[in-house]
Parts: sequence; structure tokens; C-alpha cells
Amino acid sequence: MTVMVERGSTIEPMSLAEIAKEHGDEDVVNREAVFQVTDLAVSYSGNVAIRDVNLSVYRNAVTAFIGPSGCGKSTLIRCFDRMNDLVPGATIEGNVLYHGKDLYAADVDPVEVRRRIGMVFQKPNPFPKSIYDNVAFGPRVLGLKGSLDERVEQALQQAALWDEVKDRLKESALGLSGGQQQRLCIARCLAVEPDVILMDEPASALDPISTTRIEDLMHELKREYTIVIVTHNMQQAARVADMTAFFSVEVGADGGRRHGILVEYDKTAKIFTTPADKRTEDYVTGRFG
Amino acid sequence: MRISFQEELDQLEASLRAEGELVLRSLRGAVEVVCTQDLELADEVIAFDDDIDAQYFEVEQGIELLLARQTPVASDLRLVLALLKDNLHLERMGDLCVTIAKLTKLTKGLPPDETLLTGFREMGERAEQMIVVALESLEHRDQEAAESLLDLDELIDRANRRVVNRLLELGGDLELREWGLRMILVSRCLERIGDHAVDVGEQTAYLVTGEFREFTDASHS
Repeated sequence: MTVMVERGSTIEPMSLAEIAKEHGDEDVVNREAVFQVTDLAVSYSGNVAIRDVNLSVYRNAVTAFIGPSGCGKSTLIRCFDRMNDLVPGATIEGNVLYHGKDLYAADVDPVEVRRRIGMVFQKPNPFPKSIYDNVAFGPRVLGLKGSLDERVEQALQQAALWDEVKDRLKESALGLSGGQQQRLCIARCLAVEPDVILMDEPASALDPISTTRIEDLMHELKREYTIVIVTHNMQQAARVADMTAFFSVEVGADGGRRHGILVEYDKTAKIFTTPADKRTEDYVTGRFG
Repeated sequence: MRISFQEELDQLEASLRAEGELVLRSLRGAVEVVCTQDLELADEVIAFDDDIDAQYFEVEQGIELLLARQTPVASDLRLVLALLKDNLHLERMGDLCVTIAKLTKLTKGLPPDETLLTGFREMGERAEQMIVVALESLEHRDQEAAESLLDLDELIDRANRRVVNRLLELGGDLELREWGLRMILVSRCLERIGDHAVDVGEQTAYLVTGEFREFTDASHS
């Protein structure tokens, strides 16, 4: 299919693929895979939480994990910044490659991993410090070079919070509204110049307007960062994500415990219009879960 | 399970089906008008279109409300989109029946040609059958039935060509020729109703497969 577009003084046909490319809308799955997950299984004290996960997270895209409670989506996202390391009894099998390198290799420093891969949680969790110090905390601890003031301003700008707090940077972060606190947490995460931002239900404790701001923010931030979001809100996934993975719960073959599985992973448009798996269809249309 | 949502979807489908039944009644009436020159019935067919339009609005508003409140996705979304388009196709079929009734009124006092009237009966029956198949293909999510509409459309197209050929043979009688000129449009209306039925079938195939594809031959008829 072609359409006619003006090029200089002449009008020439241009393919839709070319137009898409001009608008930076080329196929997400052709981009570099920031994470490559192969045959991943996570257990807590021997109980499998999620298993058989194979998927790639693509650069400068928003990838959403959806599924019912207990499907292991939060467990999976916590593998990306090695937060499960902090859970006693947690074991991880399979591979998680980060830019092609094994994230769980012996020589990988989990602290360095968490600098490059930031996490924003469901409940905003600012430090009981000033707005400024919250954002400056990471760069100070890491001893990042350059002007701290500039770094703080830039992070707050990127998190779309600067205009609201620039005149009260020294005030306590706890005085901010819930939505502002969550954007502050995003700014805190951005201040250490991460590569990936993980968000675990980032808007589920926020009102609709604050939610919209966070979603708009994701849209902006994906130009520079790779974003993975866990959400219960399917419409949120439909609105913000380029790729969507649907996880479900199944009972083990021995009739034993329930564990999470990856059912389907595809472009968001496909998941919400013509999902390939009946279980995905039942979940997104609200007939299950 | 979203019970009220499912009920609303079922209700929408039932409303569309009811609209289809109204269109079938209108079509039978319109063919009867042509074949019997019953001008009183012609007025009834014309007035009856208000009922079809009312049903059309009911379906349309139901869809608007459902989209706003339930944000359907996946097969639910495809169903709602298919209903939206089918609704328009049925309403257009109703309009074509009105046109047939109006054209017949314009031929008041002109002598009809019996061979052509037989042709119209045949086209009317075929159009009726196509609407039934189209509605049932939707009801049963039956892609095969939907695709069979293409063959049925070929039959109505052939009948249309026979009507045109017969008209060319009508000869020099001025009144008969004037009648014939009006009737060529009637033939066209019946043929168009068949095309709309094919379009409804295309929506069924879209609903079932998730891929929209024109039953291409229809556009060449």
C-alpha cells in the first residue's frame, strides 16, 4: 500500500513502511533485546512461583506484564534487577541476559545492576527527607560527577514534577500528594541515569488524573529508557504498552501447588484485538480472572 | 465474568436481528409492490422505513453506550464493530426497499412486462435468502455460510443482467420503455441489497477470523 506525499516540489508515492520509519514507529520487535529471558523459573523455598518463561524485552519500548494475582508477574519483574536475591529461599533457574550478558553471572555486582535498572513501586516510598535530597541521594551515594543541582533539576524535569516543586525543593517530600510522590520516586530513579525503569503497579494507588500523568510520562520516557510495567489495569496496558505479556496461573501436573506461567507475549495491539490463546482472550475480555 | 456486559452484548445482537426481520418484511412488501402495482402498499412500505430507522438508532445508541462504558476488547470488540457496520448495511437495505416502492409509484398507469415481473420475483427471493443467510452467519459465527453469500450474489447478479437484457428487447412502445427505464433502477436496488448482504457476511468472517478481507468478487459485480 502506498500514499502520495509531497517531497520537495514533486509528489511521490511513499510506502507506509517508510512513513512509519520516519515517525520512529518501526517494528518494536526488530529493536535490540535489552533482556532475553530463557526457560526462567523462580521458586521460593522450593515452591515454584513462575516457570517456563521465555521472552525478550525490547529497547525504548514499554513492555507490560498483565495477569491475575499469583501469576508471578511481580516475581518476574523482580528478576530483572535481582531483587529476588534479597528474598531468603528464593532460587532462580534459567537465564536472564541483559544486553547479552548473564545478569546472574558470578562477577555481576547486584548494586551496579540496580543502578542501571531502576524500580518504581506500587506505593510511593520517598525517603523522609527533602524533595531535593530524595533526588540527590542516588547520585551522592554513587559519587556521580557533575553539578548535583543540575542533575536534580533534570531528573525532576524528566519526571514532569519540576514546575510543581521548584520553589520548595527544601521542603519534606512527605508533604507532596500521592501522585507527586510517585513522580518524585521516578525522578529519584532517573537521577542515577538508568538504562531500564521497572514499574510494579506504579499507578494503582493513584487517582485517575495522577494515573494519566504517569502514563503520559511513560510515553515520554520510553524515548530514552526501556520500561517494563506490571499492571492489574488492562486498559492501562492497552494504553501505554508496545508489547504485552499475559501470565496465568496453572495447577502443577501432580495436582499440587499453583504457579504462574507465561501464556502469550505479543504486540499490545494483537493481545487486545486478536489474541492467539483462548486464555488470553478470556482474561482480556473479562471472562476469567 | 462480566454478566451485565454479556447481557448488553446479547441485547445488541438481538436488536440487530430484529432490525433484520423488519428489513425482510420491507423487502417482501417492496417486491409485492412492483409485481402487483399496489400503490397503497407502496405507501405502507415507505412509511414502514421509520420502524427500521428507529431500530437502527436503538442499535447505534446501544453500541455507543457499550463502547463508552465497557471498553470491549478482542472478540467482543470485533463483535461490536461488526454490529456497528451490519447495522448500517441493514438500514441501507431498508432505504433501497423505499426506493423500489417510490419507483413503482412513478410508473402509475404504465403497462408492466410480465417476463420482467417474474425476474423481479426471482431477484426478490434471492435477496431475501441472502439476508437470511447473512443474519444467520452472524448468529452462528459461521464463516462458511458467510462466504457462501458470494455464490448467492453471483445468482442475483445474473438475474440482474437478464433483466437488463429483457429491457433492451422491449421495443418501440414508448410507455413500456418508460416503465422499463424505471424498472432498471428497481433491478439495481435488488442487486444492491444482495451486495449489502455480502458485506454483512464479510463482517461475520472478520468477527470469526480477526482479519478483515473483502470477498473480492463482490466489488466487481
